[in-house]
Amino acid sequence: MKPPAFEYVVAETVEEATARLAEYGDDARPIAGGQSLVPMMNFRLVSPAVLIDIRKIAPPDTIEEADGHVRIGALTRHRALETSPLIADRFPVVTAAMKHVAHLAIRNRGTIGGSLCHADPAAELPAIAVLLDARISVARQGGERTIEARDFFEGALWTAVGDDEIVTRIDLPLLPPGAGWGFHEFARRHGDFGLAGAAATVTKSAGRATEVRIALLGVGETPVRAHAAEALLTGSDFGPDAVAAAAVAVRDGIDPTDDLHASADYRRHLAGVLAERALADAWGRAGNGAS
Amino acid sequence: MERIDISLSVNGTTYERSVEPRRLLSDFLRDDLRLTGTHVGCEHGVCGACTVLLDGDSVRSCLTFAVQCDGASIRTVEGLGEIGALDPLQESFRKHHALQCGFCTPGMLMTAVDLLAKYPLSTDDEIREGLSGNLCRCTGYVNIVSAVREAAAARGNDKA
Amino acid sequence: MSGIATAGAADVARPGIVGARVQRREDPRLLTGRGTYVDDRKVDGAVHIAFCRSDRAHARIGRIDAAGARQAPGVLGVFTAGDIDAVARPIRATSNMPDYRATELEPLARGKVRYVGEPVVAVVAENRYLAEDAAGLVSVDYDPLPEVTDPEAALEDRALLHESAGTNVIAAREFARGDVDGAMAGAAIVVEDRFRIRRKTPSAIENRSCLAEFEAGRQALTLHASTQVPGLLRDALAEIFDLPGRRLRVVAPDVGGGFGAKASLYPEEVVVCALAMRLGRPVKWTSDRMEDLTATSQAFDEIVRARLALEPDGRFVALDADVIGDVGAYSIYPWTASLEPVQVVSFLPGPYRLQNYRGRVRAVATSKAPMGPYRGVGRPISTFVMERLVDMAAKKLAMDPAELRARNLVRDDEFPYKSGSGIVWDRSGFQDCLRSALDRFGYAQRRTEQAAARNEGRLVGIGIASYAELTGIGSRISAAPGMPINTGTERATIEIDSTGGVTAAFGIASHGQGLETTLAQIVAEELGVRVEDVEIIHGDSAAVAHSTGTYASRSTVLAGGAATLSARALRKQAIEAASYLLEAAEADIEMRGGVISVAGTDSSITLRELARAFYTEMRRIPKEARESLELSASATYDPFFGTTTGATHVAEVEVDPQTFGVTVRNYVVAEDCGRIVNPMIVDGQVHGGVAQGIGAALYEEVVHDESGQILTGSFVDYVVPSAAEIPDMAVIHLETESPSTLGGYRGMGEGGTIGAPAAIANAVADALSGLDARVNELPITPDRLFRLIRDAEQRKGESRYEA
Repeated sequence: MKPPAFEYVVAETVEEATARLAEYGDDARPIAGGQSLVPMMNFRLVSPAVLIDIRKIAPPDTIEEADGHVRIGALTRHRALETSPLIADRFPVVTAAMKHVAHLAIRNRGTIGGSLCHADPAAELPAIAVLLDARISVARQGGERTIEARDFFEGALWTAVGDDEIVTRIDLPLLPPGAGWGFHEFARRHGDFGLAGAAATVTKSAGRATEVRIALLGVGETPVRAHAAEALLTGSDFGPDAVAAAAVAVRDGIDPTDDLHASADYRRHLAGVLAERALADAWGRAGNGAS
Repeated sequence: MERIDISLSVNGTTYERSVEPRRLLSDFLRDDLRLTGTHVGCEHGVCGACTVLLDGDSVRSCLTFAVQCDGASIRTVEGLGEIGALDPLQESFRKHHALQCGFCTPGMLMTAVDLLAKYPLSTDDEIREGLSGNLCRCTGYVNIVSAVREAAAARGNDKA
Repeated sequence: MSGIATAGAADVARPGIVGARVQRREDPRLLTGRGTYVDDRKVDGAVHIAFCRSDRAHARIGRIDAAGARQAPGVLGVFTAGDIDAVARPIRATSNMPDYRATELEPLARGKVRYVGEPVVAVVAENRYLAEDAAGLVSVDYDPLPEVTDPEAALEDRALLHESAGTNVIAAREFARGDVDGAMAGAAIVVEDRFRIRRKTPSAIENRSCLAEFEAGRQALTLHASTQVPGLLRDALAEIFDLPGRRLRVVAPDVGGGFGAKASLYPEEVVVCALAMRLGRPVKWTSDRMEDLTATSQAFDEIVRARLALEPDGRFVALDADVIGDVGAYSIYPWTASLEPVQVVSFLPGPYRLQNYRGRVRAVATSKAPMGPYRGVGRPISTFVMERLVDMAAKKLAMDPAELRARNLVRDDEFPYKSGSGIVWDRSGFQDCLRSALDRFGYAQRRTEQAAARNEGRLVGIGIASYAELTGIGSRISAAPGMPINTGTERATIEIDSTGGVTAAFGIASHGQGLETTLAQIVAEELGVRVEDVEIIHGDSAAVAHSTGTYASRSTVLAGGAATLSARALRKQAIEAASYLLEAAEADIEMRGGVISVAGTDSSITLRELARAFYTEMRRIPKEARESLELSASATYDPFFGTTTGATHVAEVEVDPQTFGVTVRNYVVAEDCGRIVNPMIVDGQVHGGVAQGIGAALYEEVVHDESGQILTGSFVDYVVPSAAEIPDMAVIHLETESPSTLGGYRGMGEGGTIGAPAAIANAVADALSGLDARVNELPITPDRLFRLIRDAEQRKGESRYEA
């Protein structure tokens, strides 16, 4: 399990990196923390001819608030997100999710941009991006564009990022004041990718939900929002019947497949359970806007 | 194959070497520097045996290219205590019989060094979760948890 | 850890080195990264192998195109079966057991491949990176053959894995005692089920590794191998290569765990030797994890149909079992394919009084990695089956499962007891183990708490498992399977050198058990020196005339026995030599802590002074005495039968009724391993064994698809539990000294793994006792539990689960 040979190039600016990507085309892959790419190379599942090291483009660990967003540099490491007081204050759901991301040694090195681009459907950050309606900025030679999280994930390990593009930052729009949150994941072993997981946010007013979001991981080709369940709960009082109906909608709205660790039936069941738990937490934590 | 010159510090000694870009840090340490205390158990980032400190943070040396460590400072198990002068964490491992075959031990120690620096480790659950990226097949972890618990408590005493 | 010791008079008189919590001699080097594992050995000029392994489960090998690989950078050669078998005989595990069919194993596959991962081509290059590059350029044409993947289908012999065997059933055996059918027919209660335990792989964290160096001048071959059995390898390789043993040395340096996986001879070990001789360069192969998970021996793969009959008062009256062992593609050397499945039927009656027993076993070859020894060998399965039957019976009788065990475990006054399968339990605290484990667990109190938890809708379960095993087996038992090797004796040589240093050489090969410490404790105590004065040599075929290695819970009993005998002989001679220097009668001389003194006087000499006088200062001891005495002694120990080790495990689990995750909340082991050499090490062995048993019960499974492709080729998919999944555990030691072994020691390295799968399975079944859920398959993954509960509830007509 030794990686195949490649040419190694260091890019110190976005312009340099995108120029190199344009030059090499799909023979090249950007590398930052390498925590998803290197294992695949060690298994020789991928053999890029060129690796473009983008770590020097920006200072690592950039997390700042501006204009109703929290802006996270793509080179921010998981560990920085896990420990950021700003994130803990504005997006405690992210802080909670980070505790499920692999292990300290992986979080020390793996980057946010890398996790999004790897697009493992069972990973936490892609689901969080979908939950929070993140906007992901990507650059190519001579241009930049923003991709909504819902359009970003196109399939398992497959994103809307072109071969000639790199992710530069992620913008998380702030949640309404008093939004409650919940995150539940079930994995066979601590730190493993979840068999399924659910993240939720709830905003309430006068005892009724005004906005509900549910994102699911591990239940299909990409992280998904459970829109039908969200719609059922919006305006509801989160009574047992409403939540049970939402869990049914969660299960009906997904199309998981069988794999080594879980059957489709079990995953479907689990997604409902975890969504209920995440929703219950989110409802419990939501401040009542009208009171 | 094209090689690239790198310079890095390992356990306080500066090494200048020319490496193939694909050379994993684990192989670089073991074969090029002959620092064989860092072990290789899976080469896909799960077992943790190859864990070293890179600029103070624990990382998997099997998921890191040596070429990416140009200018970096690395600490391996050889940079902890020595035979006859074990450091307190190593002493705690010995006292609690936290190792049997010893193969996972260097990675376990380097992970524990990082955990002790970054987390309160005030409960066994926290210690166990912290160690969960390092697989041990011999000890059943019971004594490793005891060893880290004691090291965490001693750390608190130092600060007080 | 509280010990309930049955201290004899001998204990009181001992200096107390044996039995003390002595810190390990191994630790300083292993804690500082200064250990030397095989792959740490960097030899000038060494070249590296990457194997091209079969990606087909069963196929005829067609054309092999290696032209591109031969031209690749850094490549020294590309080798196939013909290159190796020109110099090496095939590996053949023989046995004189009836109904056993040996299967020839070529070091590189010849003619056909029989499992995914089987080595076919060896590519040698200047380093592993280049070797893998070149291996990727080799193409092998395969002509597919019918699948032989499912063990029950393979029984029908529609397609044969080994045509020469004429059947896929390569070993079969039946044990019968008493009148099973009569007892079954007359019994008040019969419980039965079909049990299955899924394939495991031992997964030592150090992958296998071997380095062969051929010294052309001496025509001598040295193999450094990550193995538990350097002595067995030396003897086997001497035959395979037709080399004299004196020019063939096998060294196992520091070894990063074995658990049975490193106790067999592997094709790769033959290949590195053959190519080192051919190329005149040192040749190294270090397995990567993918290779380890596909091509290291696997285990615990059985289907067992069993039924247990009981009287209304709970007495066991008959046990009937049919075992199918899925033994993989080849009969492994030297243990043979019969090893594990035969142990399942041998040990199924457990530590219970039961005289009507029938156990039938068939070992079926399939397209999977060969089954080999793995910690517990067969007994984790037999214990799982028997202990599940006991709990099923308790439920049917509405009797507490602890009480049912107490009524049937062999009592102290019944030893020696011949089990239903003919195994003789010499004497062990079966009943004591049960009582002690329950006491420590707080059984009655926890049952009360469990009832309260159930009322809250929580699924809390308590599971008990009692078992017994034979350990430290001697020549009488080890000869029984008819293998042409002797594992029943152990030899030790202890020398005092001219500086007064004590070196003790053994044939065992410690790989985590701490035998450098425990054997030094025994030598130090018996000889009368300090532990730190004793150097233990092990893991080197050149250290003793005959050796095998460390496996089968044998090393403390056998090497400890040999250490005791040789240390006593050496002490006698040292005292006799000292008698000339101290001018006293031998009877008045004692030796303690490396000082030899005349009792009741201040006249003494150190061991160092004695050695100088003996070897160097030629006038101090008379010539005749120097010629007749030696400061060295060798002795062989043969326990002949071996001894019994028993234990009871009690586990408490909680099942999440929604996610079906199982959490082990509490774990207690009470075990009787006889006289303890080092309680710290015994605790560690139990902890590690239990963790592997929990892995077997809840997490670990080697999965093949229908076509024989292995789906668990990484540590992402083969799930070894981490610190977060394994609970703290309490260990209670009962030191019933073994009447059958020198020193009273019993083997205990495997026991944790034997009891845990059964205890966990019973605890999960107990948690689900409100449902009619059949917990009969391990591992109990969340997905299996989901289906089990869903099926049970659907039978009851009340499903909560979408499908």
